[in-house]
Order: sequence, then structure tokens, then C-alpha cells
Amino acid sequence: MDTFRKSVSVAAVMALSLALAACGGGDDGASGDDAASGDGAASNGDNTLTVWAWDPAFNIYALEEAEKVYQQDHPDFALEIVETPWDDLQTKLTTLAQSQQLDQLPDIFLMQNNAFQKNVINYPDLVSDYSASGIDFGEFPESVVAYSTVDGKNYGLPFDNGTAITALRTDVLTEAGYTVDDFTDITWSEYITIGEDVLAKTGQPLLTGQAGSSDLIMMMLQSAGASLFDDEGNPTITDNEALLAAIDTYQQLVTTGVLVEVNSWDEYINSIVNSSVAGTINGVWIVGSIQSATDQSGLWDITNLPKLDGVDGATNYSANGGSSWAISSGANAELAADFLGATFAGSTEFYDTILPASGALANWTPAGESDVYAEPQAFFGGDAIFAKVVDFSTQVPSNNTGAYYYEGRDAVSVAITNIINGADPAAALAEAQATVEFAMQ
Amino acid sequence: MSRRTAPTEEAARSAPSPHTKATGRLSRSLGSSSPKFRLAQRRSLTGWTFLIPASLVILCLNFWPMIQAFILSMKTGRGTRLNFAEPLWSNYARLFDDEIFKLTLQTTFIYLIVQVPIMLILALILANLLNDRNLRFKGLWRTAIFLPSAVGLVSYALVFRTMFANDGLVNDILLGFGFIDGPVNWLGQTETARMVIIVGLLWRWTGYNMIFYLAGLQNIDYSTIEAAKIDGANAFQTFWYVTMPQLKPIILLTAIMSTNGTLQLFDESFNLTAGGPANTSMTISHYLYMVSFRNSPNFGYAAAISYVILIIVAVLAAFQIRVGDKRD
Repeated sequence: MDTFRKSVSVAAVMALSLALAACGGGDDGASGDDAASGDGAASNGDNTLTVWAWDPAFNIYALEEAEKVYQQDHPDFALEIVETPWDDLQTKLTTLAQSQQLDQLPDIFLMQNNAFQKNVINYPDLVSDYSASGIDFGEFPESVVAYSTVDGKNYGLPFDNGTAITALRTDVLTEAGYTVDDFTDITWSEYITIGEDVLAKTGQPLLTGQAGSSDLIMMMLQSAGASLFDDEGNPTITDNEALLAAIDTYQQLVTTGVLVEVNSWDEYINSIVNSSVAGTINGVWIVGSIQSATDQSGLWDITNLPKLDGVDGATNYSANGGSSWAISSGANAELAADFLGATFAGSTEFYDTILPASGALANWTPAGESDVYAEPQAFFGGDAIFAKVVDFSTQVPSNNTGAYYYEGRDAVSVAITNIINGADPAAALAEAQATVEFAMQ
Repeated sequence: MSRRTAPTEEAARSAPSPHTKATGRLSRSLGSSSPKFRLAQRRSLTGWTFLIPASLVILCLNFWPMIQAFILSMKTGRGTRLNFAEPLWSNYARLFDDEIFKLTLQTTFIYLIVQVPIMLILALILANLLNDRNLRFKGLWRTAIFLPSAVGLVSYALVFRTMFANDGLVNDILLGFGFIDGPVNWLGQTETARMVIIVGLLWRWTGYNMIFYLAGLQNIDYSTIEAAKIDGANAFQTFWYVTMPQLKPIILLTAIMSTNGTLQLFDESFNLTAGGPANTSMTISHYLYMVSFRNSPNFGYAAAISYVILIIVAVLAAFQIRVGDKRD
């Protein structure tokens, strides 16, 4: 009897363990992780949409306000927002798309403009296009819509404005005998001359940037209407006049000390907030970080960018970053497009609400015409900066990103670091082009 | 002649009755043959019962994905449009032309060759020091040295990044003591960036390996050390001739684990230096992540890179076992 009981219990344990192992082993196909299980699946109700976005103070705040605006006409509408940092969001999108678990996607998600081409070209069944939405994309600046346009179809609704600005400390400038007007509509050589003078008189550099980051060079490149890739997607890194001019300008900035290189994003923000530098050039979203230094209120102002010397098509306007709303495939596309169209592409009231509270600047041109945008900003010495920026944004040239944009930027970053350390620019860029061509195989 | 007594064990074993032969092993195990045989059978069955569930889990969750990854490494294409490559090994051949991959391979090997020996030797020395019977506050020292390995990988990488910033703590201290004239750009130069990663790794993992060695040292019979002392050996000779040989299995274990961990290094490269100046402090795993998720996704190529890591780890582990594991 003992033996019998023992064998039975052993058999029972074995059976249970096998069942557990089988259950555990069967899961290796799914790739959506714990977060996806709760919030995935498009619209669990008829009037609910799920959204993935990052930055509670900016994007998520804007979504909540948009929800309120839409609920005025659609009372039983609800928005489920899941905060997901961009890096995580990109990894999730790639994982879900690669493993074909597309039903785990939310209805709407935010995507960086730089990443649109890569994601849409590689995973066409990830997103739905806006062709049936009735949204007029002519009301957005062409350069921004271009990021999310693939084969003539729109896949993204522009939101976060990435128009580039030159932000400057007016008190430091006054000490050196300059004003913001001395920086408006100038060239880079003029900028460097003034910068050296300011550095000599006040000991403060005008610019700060991350070492090895290609942001500033990309902004210079785009300001001249040039890109790393041509219209067909072939790399144009060598023999790129604008790029060579941009790199030469960057080198001069570093050697004269007008630009101080730091090693990480935190250091970059710190240098602005701690008054180690007298200004910065970046997308208008940097205003949020600048304003975190409350003791510097009233001491800043903004203007447009310097233009590249000796390059055809050089302008004083550019952009860095920015993001747009994408509607995933399999989502409740009609409701999503209607919601986005009524708020982000249709409601001046909405943009008026979010601007003062979060500095969220619209890409939508009609919004820029409202009075709220023309209000003077105390932090910036009473200048109506938002109206200025909306005006800048209409003049930004487009640039080609393409599916290999990140490879291109990386290769150029490596080239810049090598050039600063003494390599020959033409040779370094040739190497960069070879790297990108290799990655494109 | 009737058999009123059961046959003896020996007789039964050497000449099993036709009855048991015909009905096979099962009836034998149910008691018609010797007790010893039955026990061995049952032990073996129990052993298998405990092994099978765990083996199945490992098979499903480890080996099956490895096989799928190998198949994936023979495909090319972007996104989900993957097709078998012509020839099948073209992803591996492509690795030889990939400058960034070769750079990361070199960097990872530098980390391996510099960091692992220093760490293991340091851990060994510390374990010896802390094994002293007369040392006070032993618990405190051991906890203090072990605690770094309990800290989250990302948090410690970010803290190190802040510490080694141009205006960070390390530069402040060195400037304050007058060791340097101007701030050192730790993270902006190749050699110093790699050094910062190595310092971070040493700080984090020495304590972990030290605990292994402490456990090994506890198992060494004190009489062997006493015998060496009686024979007139000094501290170093005792350590080298008596302690070390007995620690060999543990040293082998920690060496293999450290090699494995360092070759697969990711977090420090990603969070501390973000690949360092111009990709020079990037490790192979970091490059793999970039190829899969940051750049235009090329999963076949990424799988090939991961297999290269696997092959290198396997070769090194085999080599270490061959050298270190001399069982009699």
C-alpha cells in the first residue's frame, strides 16, 4: 500500500510539473510583455481609445486636455493614456511588429519625426494612413508633414513643434554690448565673431552641446535645405557642400571656445540652468528646460538661427526633433482620426489651453494666429516668443530622413568626433558614407 | 521435488525463472526479483521524475529559442520581410566587413582581458583578508564589499556618469587635492571612457566574486593550513601551495561566470558612456541592440552577432575548463 501511494503521488507530481512546463514552454511565441497585456488591444469599448505617449508634463497633459475638448461634443468618449518613454515605445513597436502581434498595439501612439520613415517603411502593417480622415494637412508646415509622408500618404499628425531657435541670455549680451537683434538674420561667421567677443568680455560661451551629438550639424544642414540622403534614399554624405560647411563651422565653434562640449544630456541641461553658458541653439522644446531655472526669469530672449556662409539655399530656419501622432493598424481608425482631427487639427481652444500651462507649441498654423500666442512671455523679457516661433516654423526647409536616418546620424557623429580630434573632414565623411552604405546592404 | 523455500538471492540472480523473463522488467520491479535491483530501479525512476520538468523548461525556454535564433541568423531582409540568405552564411561573412562590429569586438576583448583578471585577483585577496579568524567587524566589511552588486545596473551606471562628468565629483576631488591641473574629460576620450567602465565593473562585481571565494575558503580544512604553518611556510607560500589548489574549482567557476558576463556586457556601455566617443566604448551586445531596435531593424544580422558572442563564450569556457578542471 505504501509503495502504491508513493507511486501515485509521484505520478501526480510528475503530471502537474509536466503541465506547468508545457504551459511555460508554450509562451515563448508571444512577445508582448506585462505592460501590453493590460493596455493593448484596440478600443475595449466603442468610445474608448488607448494612447501610448511620453512626458507627463507635455504630451500626456495635452492628451488630457484634448480629451476634455472632445468630450464637449461626445460625452461618453474616454481616453486611456499609458505613459511610455520613447526608447521603450520604439522597442515595443519593433517587437510587436516583428512578431506580428499587432492586436497588442494601442489605437494611437506618439512617434518621433525622425523615426517615422524607418518604422513605416520597414513595417507597413504597423500604421494606418490618414487618407480617409478628412484632415487638411496643408494647415501644417510642409517640412513637418514631410517626415511622416511615405509614398505620398500621410501617416502622422504633427504635434510637438521642433522648430529651432537661438535662445540667449540678454543680461550677458548687454554686459558685452550686444542685443538679440545683433543675432537675428546673421551668418555663422558673424555669430562666431560676436561669440568670441562675448567670451572675451564676459568669460561665457554662447553655446553648449553634447560631444559627438550631431544635432547642431543636422540643424545647420537642414537650414540649407540639404540632407544626408537624397530623394531616392541614397546617402549623400560625401561631396555634400552644406555638410562640409556645417562641419567647418562646428570646428570653428569648438576651437574658438564659443561652443563648449559636454558629455551627457544632464550636463547639457545643467550648463544652461547653472548659467555656465549664455545661450543655446535647439528645438523650441528646450524652452521647457530653460524655464526650469526660475531665477533666470526675464533674462532670456529668442531669435532665429544664423545661416551657413557660402552655401546655396541657406536660410535662417531649421528644426530639431518633434513628434507626430500615428494611428495603428487594427485600431478604431475612424474614431481615432475623428478625435485627432477635432482636437489637434481642429481646435484653437485646445491649443490656447495647453500653451500657457506647458509651453506646448502647435504645428497647426491656424492655432498660431490666436491671441494667446501673441501674449508676451515674462520669462523672455516680455517678448511674444510663441508667435515668433510659429512664424519661423512656416519657413523651415524640409529634409529627407528615410529608413536609415539613425545610421546616417550615427556615422556623422563618429565623423565629427574624429574631425574634432584632427582627422581630415573629407576622409572622415567618406568613411561615414561607407559605414552607412554597409548598413544599408 | 517441490520448492517449499524461495530460491536464494544468488540463485535467483544467476538463473531467473522463465516466468520473469517472459513478462519482462516491469514484473521484476514489482517484486519478483531481488530487493537491491528494485531499489536501484526506483531510485533511477525518482531521479528522472525530478529532472524531467526542469529539463523541459530549459529545453523550451532556452534551447528552442537558441535554435530559432540560429535559423534567424541565416535569413536576411528588413522588418518582417525575412528570407533565407544566399549563401546561408552571408550574415556571418558580412560581419568581417563590419567596421563597427570589429571595433566593438576589440573593445569587449579589452574589457575582458583587463577587467576579469584584476577583479578575480582582487576578490581572492579580499576573501583571504576577510577569512582571518581574528578580524573584527567581519560582517560589516563583507556586507560593504558585497553591497555594490545588489545595486541596480542602470542606477549605478547613471551615478558613475554623473561622478565622472567634467564638473563631477571625481574631477572636483582630484583638482582639490592638486593631482591634476584641469578637469579630465573622462567620458570624452576613448582610453579614459573604457577605464571608467572597467572601474565601474570592478566596483560592482568584486564583492560578488569575493563571496564565492569566501564560501570556498570556509570549506578548506584548517588542518591543512596548520600543517603548512608547522612546516614553516609564510603567508604567501601557504596561500599559493595550500589554499589555491583547493580553491581551484571555485576559481574556475567564477572565471567562467565573469567571462560570460563581461562578453555580454550591455548596461554600462548603454547607460554610462552611451557607446563612448565615436562608438569606441561600445560592446557587442550594445551594437546588437542598436542594429535591432535603433537602426533600421535587421534581425537576421543581429541574430548572427549574438551567435558570434555565443561561440566566443563557449570556446573560452571550454578552454578554461580544459586548463582548470583536472579531475582525477
